[in-house]
Amino acid sequence: MQQTTPQPPAAKPAKPRPPEPPPEFQEGKIATMDAAGLVGILKDPASTEFQKAKACMRAGELAAKEAVPALAALLGDERLGMYARYGLEPIADPSAADALRAALPKLKGNLLIGVINSINKRRDAKAAPALIKLMYGPDPGVARAAAAALGSIGGSAMVKELQAALSKTTGMTRMAVADASLVCAERLLAEGKRDEALALYSFLSAPSVPKPVRLAAMQGIIREETAVTRPR
Amino acid sequence: MIVPSVVLGQRAGAVAPSDKVVMGGIGIGSRGGHDLTKILANPAARFVAICDVRNERRETVKSLVDKNYGDNGCKMYEDQYELLARPDIDAVLIATGDRWHTPLSIIAAQHGKDVYCEKPCSMSIEESWALADAFKRYNRLYQAGCQRRNGANFILCKELLEAGALGKLQTLYANVGPSVNWPPLPSRDWLAAEELPPKQVIDWDRWLGPAPWRPYHSSYVRGGWRNFYDFHGGGILEWGSHTVDLCHWAAGYDDIQPVEYEPVGGNTGPYSVNCKYANGVRLVMRDNGCNGALNTGSCSFRIEGDQGWVETGDATRIECSANIKPLLRPTEEARWAVDNHMREFIRCVRTRQTPSANAAAAANSHVTCHAAFIAFQRGKTLAWDPGKRAFTNDDIANNMRSRALREPWRI
Repeated sequence: MQQTTPQPPAAKPAKPRPPEPPPEFQEGKIATMDAAGLVGILKDPASTEFQKAKACMRAGELAAKEAVPALAALLGDERLGMYARYGLEPIADPSAADALRAALPKLKGNLLIGVINSINKRRDAKAAPALIKLMYGPDPGVARAAAAALGSIGGSAMVKELQAALSKTTGMTRMAVADASLVCAERLLAEGKRDEALALYSFLSAPSVPKPVRLAAMQGIIREETAVTRPR
Repeated sequence: MIVPSVVLGQRAGAVAPSDKVVMGGIGIGSRGGHDLTKILANPAARFVAICDVRNERRETVKSLVDKNYGDNGCKMYEDQYELLARPDIDAVLIATGDRWHTPLSIIAAQHGKDVYCEKPCSMSIEESWALADAFKRYNRLYQAGCQRRNGANFILCKELLEAGALGKLQTLYANVGPSVNWPPLPSRDWLAAEELPPKQVIDWDRWLGPAPWRPYHSSYVRGGWRNFYDFHGGGILEWGSHTVDLCHWAAGYDDIQPVEYEPVGGNTGPYSVNCKYANGVRLVMRDNGCNGALNTGSCSFRIEGDQGWVETGDATRIECSANIKPLLRPTEEARWAVDNHMREFIRCVRTRQTPSANAAAAANSHVTCHAAFIAFQRGKTLAWDPGKRAFTNDDIANNMRSRALREPWRI
């Protein structure tokens, strides 16, 4: 019940502080370094793993295109590959996209998936041919990532590829293909291609499509057909 | 002929097993354990499965659940995909660390599950939008753990604004995490490496999940992950995900964000971010101490109109201008908000109504918090274009709208 006389609650003690980071794991001046300094760290064989990780993150925040070659060189590193992508993803310069695409045939497993996910984020249509091949490859994790990236790239050509893949894939990969197709439908709607989007939703409403996607596609049709902005 | 259920042997108010919401949980520690007690107490729900990267926690949750139901029905999983593949599970409670919230929620939606997820719900502006998009795409229900939307004292404050008692809205105040506990700028450093325990004790790779790799240290796993940038959004996200959310909810701003963010103060003392909406209303995110200057408790918020003001928090008591006092009424204690919030979610899963802290609303308030967090990191006033979902006066700030996820995770 509400109190009539204000009773200040007991002050909570400050939370215990975590242990102090050791000097070799403190970001320090890297946090304010310019692109040239960051490239210097990334290229220096004497730089530690920590220093390179922080330099990658800072390069991404600056979107430092000068750092692209040094970042690309780390894409195959088990621990630093992700940091390299952290650096490359925000760089709008085409050299970053080129570096990610160039890494596709050189990597496998999770590192390859990571690069595909970065291509997904950048919606790099030039990567589509390679991604289509990877979608049918032997590694199911890679195949799923490739399907998701194709959905993110979107467009009529990707719709055809994903529709074809729906009958050629199984299990979790098929789920990923179906999910990517839903994303494609949304992209088509955003581009004003309403008829194409509805046709895709209709295709995805077939009984053979995984249930969560089938229901989502049916909902997509309902949402679009009942929207006040629907053409009449 | 219609036969009342009591005729068939069912107790009045009882829920048939086939009509119960079947739930699982992923990553249940102290906060999630609190949520879990609300599920176990709800006769309309049945909790059947736990997934956690820590063996100790899996066992603890199973023991608690089985003791509650008097059977051995709670199944344990190390892999979230195995839990999510169960067709009998309608909804999941996600109470992992923040880094997992958005990716796991999206994976759950892709598997056709409804989600109750603890906050902060996202690690970036990009994740916030992706969360809302996924739940719209799959037409699944999402309830952010912003339980104060179902707290009676908070509801009364909202009603006073809606009724016009406060006059025209001028300023919203959201208390953010006090710097003594949650500084606005989390550390980007690493702790010293410790020997990694066996995988069956703690799966460090899974614990890190989408967060950047770093060496193992037991402090992270014990809850010390907070205040590290790779895992946490600092004081602004820690409390702002509640209090900015309250401000947006009270003002009817669940679909708009401020267009200006001015950071004030440093990392060790009181700090604030002064924001302005396009309509001229101000939002002040402020470090106002652990219990607020008016002792209204943690996670307080305040609404100021041109004719009066109200302020409340977890202490339940409502402080207000003199002209509002006659309008106050006794309210349920704020601590019941979690019960109400979970009850609302379970009811919505059954009725398919939209929960109050839905994905779109959560995304909106989290985008606002992340924009303020970025302004604080940049140390300058930022202008935000909600239509373009971009800052208009700082390229670096725009580069900080997203964070790369560690492979193989994506959103």
